[in-house]
Amino acid sequence: MSAPNSHVGDPSKRWTMVADLERCVGCQTCTAACKHANATSPAVQWRRVLDIESGTFPDVRRTFVPVGCMHCSDPPCMHVCPSTATGQRADGIVTIDYDICIGCAYCAVACPYQARYKVQKPLSAYAGAKMKNEAEREDPARLGVAQKCTWCADRIDFGLENGLTPGVDPRATPACVNACIADALHFGDANDPESNVSKLLAKSHTFKMHAELGTDPNFHYVYGANTLDDPAGTEMARTVDKHADLGVKPWLQQHWDWRAAGNFIGGGTGGGLAVMGALAAFLGTQSGELHLAAMVSMALGLFMVFLETGRPFRAPLNVFFHPQTSWMTREAMVGVVFFPVTLAAVWTGMTELAWASGLLGLAFVYAQARILTEAKGIPAWRTRSSLPLILSTGLTEGAGLALAAAAAFPVALGGMRETLLWGLLALVILRALAWIAYRARLQAGAPEMTNRVLAAAHPGILIGGHLIPAGLIIGALLFTEQAAFMAALAGLVAASVGWAMKFIIVVRASYNQGFAIERVPSRGGIGIAGGVQPGWQ
Amino acid sequence: MSRPSGASDKRVPTYCYQCVAGPDFLTVRVEDGVATEVEPFFDAKDIHPGCGRACVKAFGLVQKTYNPNRVLTPMKRTNPKKGKDEDPGFVPISWDEALDLVAEKLNAAKAKGLTDKSGYPRVAASFGGGGTPTSYMGAFPAFLSAWKVVDLSFGSGQGVKCTHSEHLYGELWHRAFTVCPDTPTCEYVLSFGGNVEASGGVVGVKRHADARARGIKRVQVEPHLSITGACSAEWVPIKPKTDPAFMFAMIQVLISEYGDKLDLKFLRDHTSSPYLVGPNGYYMRDAATRKPLLWDERTGAAVAHDTPDMVPALLGTYTLAGVEVGPDDQVWHHNAVDARPAHQVLADHVAEYTPEWAAEICGVSADTIRRISKEFLDHARIGETIEVSGRTLPLRPVSIHLGKTVNNGWGGYEACWARTQLACMTGSLEVPGGTLGTTVRLNRPATSRQASVLPGEDGFMVYPWNPTDKENWRAQPQIRNAHSTLVPLVANSAWSPALGPTHFAWMAQKHAPDKFPKSTPPDVWFCYRTNPAISFWDTDGINEVLSNFPFIVCFAYTMDETNHFADVLLPDCTDLEGLQLIRVGGTKYIEQFWDRAGFALRQPVAGVQGEARDFTWISQEIAKRTGLLEEFITAVNKGAAGIRLFGEGWDFSLDTKREHSVEEIWDACCKAASAELSGGEDIVGLDYFKEHGYKVGSYDRVNWYLFPSLEDQGIRFELPYQERLTRIGRELGNRLHEMGITWWDTQLREYEPLPSWHDFPGIWETALEKNFNVDIDDFPFWLLTSRSMQYSWGGNVGIQMIKEVAGNIAGHEGIIINAQMAAELGIEDGDRIEVSSPLNSTRGRAVLRQGIRPDTILMIAQFNHWKTPLAKDFDVPSMNKLMPMLLDLTDATGSGADLVKVNIRKIGDAA
Repeated sequence: MSAPNSHVGDPSKRWTMVADLERCVGCQTCTAACKHANATSPAVQWRRVLDIESGTFPDVRRTFVPVGCMHCSDPPCMHVCPSTATGQRADGIVTIDYDICIGCAYCAVACPYQARYKVQKPLSAYAGAKMKNEAEREDPARLGVAQKCTWCADRIDFGLENGLTPGVDPRATPACVNACIADALHFGDANDPESNVSKLLAKSHTFKMHAELGTDPNFHYVYGANTLDDPAGTEMARTVDKHADLGVKPWLQQHWDWRAAGNFIGGGTGGGLAVMGALAAFLGTQSGELHLAAMVSMALGLFMVFLETGRPFRAPLNVFFHPQTSWMTREAMVGVVFFPVTLAAVWTGMTELAWASGLLGLAFVYAQARILTEAKGIPAWRTRSSLPLILSTGLTEGAGLALAAAAAFPVALGGMRETLLWGLLALVILRALAWIAYRARLQAGAPEMTNRVLAAAHPGILIGGHLIPAGLIIGALLFTEQAAFMAALAGLVAASVGWAMKFIIVVRASYNQGFAIERVPSRGGIGIAGGVQPGWQ
Repeated sequence: MSRPSGASDKRVPTYCYQCVAGPDFLTVRVEDGVATEVEPFFDAKDIHPGCGRACVKAFGLVQKTYNPNRVLTPMKRTNPKKGKDEDPGFVPISWDEALDLVAEKLNAAKAKGLTDKSGYPRVAASFGGGGTPTSYMGAFPAFLSAWKVVDLSFGSGQGVKCTHSEHLYGELWHRAFTVCPDTPTCEYVLSFGGNVEASGGVVGVKRHADARARGIKRVQVEPHLSITGACSAEWVPIKPKTDPAFMFAMIQVLISEYGDKLDLKFLRDHTSSPYLVGPNGYYMRDAATRKPLLWDERTGAAVAHDTPDMVPALLGTYTLAGVEVGPDDQVWHHNAVDARPAHQVLADHVAEYTPEWAAEICGVSADTIRRISKEFLDHARIGETIEVSGRTLPLRPVSIHLGKTVNNGWGGYEACWARTQLACMTGSLEVPGGTLGTTVRLNRPATSRQASVLPGEDGFMVYPWNPTDKENWRAQPQIRNAHSTLVPLVANSAWSPALGPTHFAWMAQKHAPDKFPKSTPPDVWFCYRTNPAISFWDTDGINEVLSNFPFIVCFAYTMDETNHFADVLLPDCTDLEGLQLIRVGGTKYIEQFWDRAGFALRQPVAGVQGEARDFTWISQEIAKRTGLLEEFITAVNKGAAGIRLFGEGWDFSLDTKREHSVEEIWDACCKAASAELSGGEDIVGLDYFKEHGYKVGSYDRVNWYLFPSLEDQGIRFELPYQERLTRIGRELGNRLHEMGITWWDTQLREYEPLPSWHDFPGIWETALEKNFNVDIDDFPFWLLTSRSMQYSWGGNVGIQMIKEVAGNIAGHEGIIINAQMAAELGIEDGDRIEVSSPLNSTRGRAVLRQGIRPDTILMIAQFNHWKTPLAKDFDVPSMNKLMPMLLDLTDATGSGADLVKVNIRKIGDAA
């Protein structure tokens, strides 16, 4: 399976950037040069340099760390992209096709390097006035779509066409590298053992950022020459000190807001309702109301995510372009099948179609869960524990609403109340276990703020969303005269807490990966020190 | 959209000299007549030590050109009342009206005489950025020269924001207006607050990065972990303003523990260390010739300092006959008196300055001081040599670098002296690998340090002291900061006025010093490329003074806090719009020593915005309207625009009887420059420079070092003993006391032959208590500042992109405070805090960091703007508002230091 855009570029090359942390002084000349070369909007920095402190007074290190798109060998942004806008050239450069991108920002939350930006409206450096240079360089194609560092691919291509060597000849070299006044940034072909970067890497101690995530960046950090002592065994310290690490500590992602949460709420509940509809059909109960509710819920969810896309008119078509790896495409495809099948099930009353609808609903919820787990940039989402949690809550929400529906439509659905009660009890228990496991996994390693948000929500979710519904369910099973009311209440409470939980996970606890350095350069001092991951516990 | 760099868009070469660490080259990409992109000047890679690159500030120039907040027409004030809270009521006017208005005031001043009733020049001017505005003001110096008497004493930061002690003492000791390590060869740098990674420009950053790759070790001694501290091998968090104690202890360690391992040859043959000091503290001299005497170990007798083949003693006490010569030719005759070599006097002097003593003062362990002292000596490679351009020179790859607040105000002399003395003890002064000066500003000629080395009295270099003898002392100050009256060391070159006690000029406007002429406001004050209402101290006080200036002409980029008080705003062409040729290469400020020397052109890259005019055009127009055209052109011919237009074999002088276009003037300059470079063989004009950007020749690397010039002439470095300085100081005291002036007595105490420790932090504490009647314990923190590479000198605080990228570096958004200390005070990151000194208060957000002493807080750069568009919305404070201007905090050179005691109060939670 070839990656989008893989027909471009020379497959014998592997373009690579190296940042020498021994040399970098944090001057931001590369940041500025990139802004010039690529005419990026205010506040958009495809290249920037972090200022990272480690240690405690008086044993403190301060390291300047250039970051941007790492042009990963295994780029999560590309895998998740539903439109194939994000691609990877044969020479390793990760690209974005602005003409295809729908601006869903899935790539942005999948990137653990916070390298991607989306600008919805033209921005000027000075409010209300577009300067001549801004007018000259403005690019409407870049609005509403993902954007990031291109490694100045246009320069590389120009250079190769003209017999120049990228990384050596300035006209063929990324602007940030050209501008670096400390010669801290290097660029070249890692496949060529004689290239500048190959030689530098061969003689240096290096690391790749967030190597544990398996993205295999083509961006290396040099932290010492090979003459230094072997630094093996130096551990990276996670630090939750309350000191300022500007743009280094994980911050709350801003790409997916309440609209995205709405998709997970509507879609998850819709999928759960479809499953309950299939259950109803299995039990021989009328399932049309549940299937109709499932469609409405799922449609609302999809409409909300449609509102979130930067290029909504492209989205309905382009979202289907990448079924090979994108769970967003797969979700959309399931949705596309779900609606006619479910409508047909309602229309014909055929049990088989109802079952098919239920399976599709389940598949839809599964796809949603996988959307989160593939978002490698957000620790609160990417954990495997998200999968059972999202699945169990979708089914819980469906069962909960089905119980409420059973109270509302006792003639049609009253017959399956007891089954639903036992089912909801089981789901509530499963979801509670999933929630506990989810939190436990994050407590083992996640941004401090993520855990803080989840900890604050924990009592409400555990008690409100699980103990209370469970109590109401038991009450409904024991006290038959209040069973309908208690069952409906249990269902509504279980569902609404599930919605709140997803809202919290998607919008409030979604702190990004932040940045980390595995080693701190010695700068000629007493030796290489362990790195630091600010804002993590 | 991004476009391939290889496209055939025009690229225009020019230079950036926004900061003193320049000049650097750049090119500007021009698309459809619009400047869009700054790039390095790749063609200059091999001639510029920074590989043809410019730093982040240069990338602000595109926005600087098209900034919608620019002043783009001349304007005049309509509200006669001046004050911070007064609306100036600026209205646009034509250039004719503006120039006539300026000329009218100038002509009126001239009609009354060039100086006023107090004897001060009626016309004053202030320029910022350590002389860098000269590279942007075209031929304006020719107008100033034509006008003849201009007061340059109203400082905008110089004197209090520069390495002032180094400027003056550095020039005295080794022609070093600025000092730096010979970074390409150095192996060990001890940096006391030097922030070269933020202030050293492209060349400094590149050289130090290369040096780290070579394995240089730099130890950074400073209260907060600066950019440079971050890039160093070790950070030693010293208490503010205690650096001299650290260095005194180093001297003590080296003499007492490693005395025989010092570079004794250097001390004997190239310094005043063997000069014998008599009982009154002056050199023992031959009674007949008055030459200083040394003790020759070979003959066992006292001999004159220039006796051939002697082996002078460095240690011991010797009995001899001779005379001592004190101030005002006071002479002591001795028939048989004990005298010690200056090195012995030094050893005795520093005996009490042990590491254990310094540890208490500095907050640094004695072991650390002792270890660093040994490392410094061990790296000095004493005895080794290196060949440079065919000449064998000592190789001494160790150096000490001093930062700004270490290097000015009280303690600056002591720090400078100790640094230079440590260089002497290791033989590392002005030799490969060691401590170098890079430029001269007080000595002449300004273009060559070597040419300024001439034999003077007592075997030392000649120095252009301001006179202190009865006959020649200038009792009447020439300008309002009284530089030539109060500061003999500041000399009297074109640069000297700006290096006198610049805050004295501002202070005297409010409170005239006793028995001094009343300090009148100038009739006309020009202000260019500086904003003293923000960049000087006690900014509220500056506002009051500016309100009383009767006529202010500001060359205006945008509205700002100083031109708020102006009467006329003149929009000059900015960096990418004006035309000017400057000298590049050779040795210049900071680390700018090149293997090339020549000229570079700044040129309009994409037209001119609005009604902005080239500075040379403006200058000529003012000259014309004040009847000084002929004098103006004459001054241009003589080199006031940076290059003399005539020389041996060529003459491109302009006709003094008529005005000339801007292009004509610079074309002549280009021709003269190329003639100078080629000895008249290869003459090229403006068109050549416009196309190529520069023209250079080679510059011999041996000229990086001053040692050969001294060695060739048998001249010694005037260290350690400051006999001459002490005598001059005593004479100055005599003169002042004869006038009944006692308010400079504290400053006179700085004139010591061997500097002593004077509890420098305590000077600040005592001065604040005395002048503000406060209990200093209520102000427990030291407030410091630090260089921002992104902003410093650039006048770019109103440029959005600079603000954006600077935001990536901690501290640009608020006040840095130690995280543990903040926790004790209940302050969290981002909380709003109020910082108060005895003078004033300011507010901002707390930025919690580990890399700062708990007793210190830090405000980077200089903000607190209230008028400059964009910047006025930053909500970031500046220390300047909290800094009082006090005579008590003014040292003998007229300098102060960025240092004040403050307290902190939380006033709000983080947003």
